Amino acid sequence: MIIALQIIALIFSFSMIYFAVIHFKRGEIRKSEILSWVFIWSATVVIVIFPELLRKFASTFLVTRVFDLMVIGGFILVMSLVASSYVRTKKMEKKLEEMVRHEALKKAKK
Amino acid sequence: MKISVVIPFYNEEKHIAEVVTSVSKYNLPIVVVDDGSVDASVDKIHKLKLRQVTIITHKINLGKGAAMKTGADFAFAKGADAIIFMDGDNQHKADDLSKFIAALESKRQGVIFGSRNYNYSVPLVRFLGNKFASFILVILFKIYVSDVLCGFKAFTKNAYNKIRWDSTGYGVETEMIARVGKAKIGFLEVPVQAIYHDKNKGVTILDAFGIFVEIIKWRLTI
Repeated sequence: MIIALQIIALIFSFSMIYFAVIHFKRGEIRKSEILSWVFIWSATVVIVIFPELLRKFASTFLVTRVFDLMVIGGFILVMSLVASSYVRTKKMEKKLEEMVRHEALKKAKK
Repeated sequence: MKISVVIPFYNEEKHIAEVVTSVSKYNLPIVVVDDGSVDASVDKIHKLKLRQVTIITHKINLGKGAAMKTGADFAFAKGADAIIFMDGDNQHKADDLSKFIAALESKRQGVIFGSRNYNYSVPLVRFLGNKFASFILVILFKIYVSDVLCGFKAFTKNAYNKIRWDSTGYGVETEMIARVGKAKIGFLEVPVQAIYHDKNKGVTILDAFGIFVEIIKWRLTI
């Protein structure tokens, strides 16, 4: 059972590394971003293969199972990504609104 | 007092020509803001060949709040002392403009809100949503406006500078009132007529939920 879960997690992690590389090659993400993503997914691969590495770390935080610690870590990562995406989207919306309104007013004043 | 009428609209080819024609009888400058329409609305206005009409076009749909801001900025930049907002879906009667003009010229208050005379034709969800918004605004901003979501309203330039909003969507109506309450600006309400031509347009329940979240955000940020 655990091995099956590990295989799924490994396939998922390698797929995510592959997609990150593809987006980098298309010029859609920066060098710093590809390095961050490759680091995150490589770390996931290592932890999936050697879960014992996190055992001591998990017990420090009073988390019984390594799996639970990984779920908590993943949740924190997802929440921080959602928050940062929200801020970026809002900034983009504001810039777009200002640009469209500015263009419309400039054209109307001619 | 130089008064301009600002009409924001999005895809209103069925009604916009009638709205602009009815308003043109007052001989006031009219600013129509096309918020990225993809239908023939703008062509219908061009065909009217009215000299007092200025058409401003957003290349993409930004939302009612952004269109209102563009129209207001333009009107005040062109020397207006006050503006009257009307919806482009023909739900308001141009006859009611005289009430806003009289209220603005009396110089009693800088903000005039329209208040629709609710009757049985108003969708129940819209009526309840409106009353709930009024209630929340009283609790959070200590201001009671009987018809929060009415798009028929007027501002002087001075009042507009104090309440210039950030909302781009339907949240604009509630944000304006929140800002009026926060800045403690005096206001009047005038009764207006309303006819609903399209019950599927306007604020949806999903929009209403978003507006509710925004009201709380404004309480913390304004």
